[in-house]
Amino acid sequence: MAKIVVEGLKYRYPLAKKLALNDISFEVDEGEFIGIIGANGAGKSTLCQALTGIVPLFFKGAYGGRVVIDGIEVTKSSLSEISLKIGMVLQNPFTQITGSKLTVYEEIAFGLENMGLEREEMKRRIDEALMLLDLYKHKDKNPFDLSGGQMQRLAIASIIAMQPKIIVLDEPTSQLDPQGSSEVFKAVSDLKKKGITIIMVEHKVEKLSEYADRIMLLHDGRLIDFDTPSKIFSRDDLKDYGVVEPVFTRYCKSIGLKNEMGLYPVTLDEAVDLVVKKREHSS
Amino acid sequence: MRMMSLYKDRNTIVHKIDPLNKILYILASILITMLISDFKVLILTLVVSLLLLLLGKVIKNVFPIISFSLIVLVTIVIIQGLFNPNNKTPLVNIGQFIFYKEGIIYSFLLILRVLNILCAFSLLILTTKPSDLIENLVRRGLSPKLGYVLASVLQIIPQMLSTMDTILDAQRSRGLETEGKLIKRVKAFIPLIGPAVMNSLISTRERAMALEMRGFNSNIKKTFLNEHDETSFDKLIRYLLIALIIFTIVWRLVWLK
Ligand SMILES: Nc1ncnc2c1ncn2[C@@H]1O[C@H](COP(=O)(O)OP(=O)(O)O)[C@@H](O)[C@H]1O
Ligand SMILES: [Mg+2]
Repeated sequence: MAKIVVEGLKYRYPLAKKLALNDISFEVDEGEFIGIIGANGAGKSTLCQALTGIVPLFFKGAYGGRVVIDGIEVTKSSLSEISLKIGMVLQNPFTQITGSKLTVYEEIAFGLENMGLEREEMKRRIDEALMLLDLYKHKDKNPFDLSGGQMQRLAIASIIAMQPKIIVLDEPTSQLDPQGSSEVFKAVSDLKKKGITIIMVEHKVEKLSEYADRIMLLHDGRLIDFDTPSKIFSRDDLKDYGVVEPVFTRYCKSIGLKNEMGLYPVTLDEAVDLVVKKREHSS
Repeated sequence: MRMMSLYKDRNTIVHKIDPLNKILYILASILITMLISDFKVLILTLVVSLLLLLLGKVIKNVFPIISFSLIVLVTIVIIQGLFNPNNKTPLVNIGQFIFYKEGIIYSFLLILRVLNILCAFSLLILTTKPSDLIENLVRRGLSPKLGYVLASVLQIIPQMLSTMDTILDAQRSRGLETEGKLIKRVKAFIPLIGPAVMNSLISTRERAMALEMRGFNSNIKKTFLNEHDETSFDKLIRYLLIALIIFTIVWRLVWLK
């Protein structure tokens, strides 16, 4: 059974003239890692918010089609109910800190207190989340004293502790330095290993190609393509949609180096393999 | 980034007293000092407060609070000493100003009242973490949403102030004049408002979304990470304080007749 089913999803913000999401349909299976790419204003954030029910419950506006998460249609459910199935991490680590808790440990507890969990269960989950996001040594710090990368990992830990099966991340690394970004990527790939379905909007296409099973290309509220990284980045019209391929792919495109399936490599390893093979072949 | 608070972290029995009891103590202090105009009683309650502050190892931190209100206290003595309508018996004269006994006595009474209330409030503020106080009130039925607002304001306001500083720095590095004449500075402030307001509007919306994802609006009965066992000692103190409050009111009513 597909975990996420989106059918004919259309959405327009109140007062906006054009559709932010225009007839989008797709399915995502349990445990998949999905990357979302597209130019500014393509509708990536809006789609993320539609998956978690924040659109339309939070913003109102004109809505059509269906988003079904784990058998439940989001518009027919409350946000707190959906948040148990699907969690979301936003761009700015600052705004995701509740600001009402004094330690990292208590911050993670915030959502669990709202879920009405028993104290022992809370502690078990907090410890697990601290371990998974490598925050254990910071557990007694004030959340506002963390670095950007640590704060973003705290935001992820706080969501993960609620044990949703799906986690949506909207440009979680865009405000982080390279160090913070790789911390977050490492954390997200660990979540994938735990079987959590991941939807991640990300501009760092090199990283995305390394981790994602499939990539969704959005433009002007429409779903242009939804396929494996190599299929997506082998397209020759990426420029029209304001996105770029990974540097390795661009290099191979420039010298016309394709694999046996007629696709360009998308990761460094694939590119190197291909170059080596080509050399052996020609010698 | 720290919370806005005067809380002093010490490990004393006073710190462990239930925050609600400290609130009741303030209530009792206010009632006693307002309803009873007896020097002996007022001095006794002040001594009790000071002893509690001493026990809580925060007595040193009370003095700045008191000296802050010193100007007011001195003003009370001067005005009452000179102009109290009941003034009859001259006490001392400084130049042409005559201080009267009645006014001075009355001003001492007022000062004792102020000191009593200050010390009782200090006991709560200096020995209770704001977050503990708020959590305690939420447990006792304060709306969790109001509790969140109170708790987050204490942390987020310093946050926003530092954002303002960052924006100010950024504008200054682009050549904005922030020193000099008042008019100039007010003008310099205007371009700050846009970014600051936009910034906080956007972050407010984002924070609201983030809270939503953490089940903030859930209808499930909230639980608490921190344990809260009310000891029988806490209960005993609570009943004693309530009894004291009732006794004060009754005593005043009877005494008035
Ligand atoms: N709160 C909002 N109100 C009105 N229009 C919005 C709002 N948020 C986004 N939009 C519009 O919806 C479209 C999609 O935006 P968004 O989903 O944020 O794109 P992306 O995340 O891909 O940059 C854009 O045209 C944007 O201007
Ligand atoms: Mg966006």
